[in-house]
Amino acid sequence: MLIRNIAYFFKEAMRSIVRNGWMSFASVAVVTVTLLILGSFMLLNINVEQITQEIKDQVEIVVYLDEELAGSEVEQLRVAVIQLPQVEEVRYVSKEQALARLQSQLGELVAGYEEEGRNPLRDSFEIRTKIPEDIPAVAQTLQTLPGIARVDYGTDVVEKLFRFTGAVRWVGLAFMGGLAFTALFLIANTIKLTVNARAKEIMIMKWVGATEWFIRWPFVIEGVLLGGIGALLPALALFYLYHEVVAWTKVNLFFLPLVPPQMVLVSITKLLLLIGITIGGLGSLLSMRRFLKV
Amino acid sequence: MIDMQHVNMVYPNSVGALKDINFSVERGEFVFIVGSSGAGKSTLIRLIGREFLPTSGSIRVFGKEITRLRRREIPLFRRSIGVVFQDFRLLEKRTVYDNVAFAMQVVGASPREIRRRVPEALEMVGLAGKAKRKPDELSGGEQQRVCLARAIINQPSLIIADEPTGNLDPQTSLGIVDLLKTINIRGTTVIMATHAKDIVDRMKQRVVVLENGKIVSDEQKGGYSHHAH
Repeated sequence: MLIRNIAYFFKEAMRSIVRNGWMSFASVAVVTVTLLILGSFMLLNINVEQITQEIKDQVEIVVYLDEELAGSEVEQLRVAVIQLPQVEEVRYVSKEQALARLQSQLGELVAGYEEEGRNPLRDSFEIRTKIPEDIPAVAQTLQTLPGIARVDYGTDVVEKLFRFTGAVRWVGLAFMGGLAFTALFLIANTIKLTVNARAKEIMIMKWVGATEWFIRWPFVIEGVLLGGIGALLPALALFYLYHEVVAWTKVNLFFLPLVPPQMVLVSITKLLLLIGITIGGLGSLLSMRRFLKV
Repeated sequence: MIDMQHVNMVYPNSVGALKDINFSVERGEFVFIVGSSGAGKSTLIRLIGREFLPTSGSIRVFGKEITRLRRREIPLFRRSIGVVFQDFRLLEKRTVYDNVAFAMQVVGASPREIRRRVPEALEMVGLAGKAKRKPDELSGGEQQRVCLARAIINQPSLIIADEPTGNLDPQTSLGIVDLLKTINIRGTTVIMATHAKDIVDRMKQRVVVLENGKIVSDEQKGGYSHHAH
């Protein structure tokens, strides 16, 4: 492609953006609003993911041992459990430790159990799996091992949590896909109007022998510029807003582990730009197809 | 230069249709295509410009079968022909100069060449002093001259004109046809569809008469009158 053509394409694109000022403004506004919602939703999704991950990581299986188990049998059982492929870590908690932990949490409510033989608790293993989703399966296997009195992992809570995070992820993806599609449609329509305004010019270009790409480039560049500006604005807005949200949360909801801004904002900005530019360029191409048939 | 063999164009309401057209034009000819409206003049001209394809038949231009051109070959083909329309088709927001230069920009000519050739073309059509005007500041005849300048700027070997004087008064029309003839004398083949009887009679050129989509007469140095109904 000739360099003077590139200069011509950019000049034409800029001229068209200025000439169709209101239309350009509308396109940018549409992309800005759409990508702002999209970006916010992405941040929300990332954080929900992070929080559920945090919760999942804390879920563990507690196995209560039979009371009459001897020390060597406990050790054998520990080895058997750690050898399960999905198991990450096994911690032995004697009933004395368990009682001490309980007392430190509940204080005086459980006073008076210190005396020998009055401890109602059992020795136990606290087991973490490599991935939280393996917990139900591992729990089931553990139940079949000898010397284990009871397996506890909060069945309901864990399964509900997994179902919930799965749903959040899919709804989020569907929502984002829908929004991106809407933005594409809107910018295609807006550019179609600017192409419409120049239908005569396109026809003349075709008659004097312009190639299809020569005709397309100015419009594609126009779309890419509009989409790019439309992506930059929400990226800047999100940059500022997310910093504020994280700062506020740190003070007021310190237990919520939000993803730190520097970890997500750069990639979200890149992603928004990519989406904006793609939507703009693709929108132009789509809206031009009809006009090239001369 | 142009050779049409058994060209048929079928339209649902038969207006502008063509039936078994066999017709050829040699390099350097000046040909009028005449006939009443709906006889198929315009269809014939536009087929030569590859605006659309015939229902059947062969159309060779510059020795090339243009009904089999690939999509990306069409622009290159069009660069070798100049086109003049009845409704001028100028860009209103651009100056006369820009309208002509546009046709050169589009085919990737260098700015230097554009600066050299556009004034030459404007001079040739008699608009040297009006380069900076916009089309709506010009008369109809002057606008059509701009179109002529645009049509010749890329030095095509063929010009096709579809009723170029259709919107002009007789005196102005004559000026345009004279200009086309001058271009023709310089070596460019010209094919012009028209129903301007006076002009055709006066020019004494080859005349092809279309009637209901058929060629009913094709005479060197012909006239319109004795075919008019």
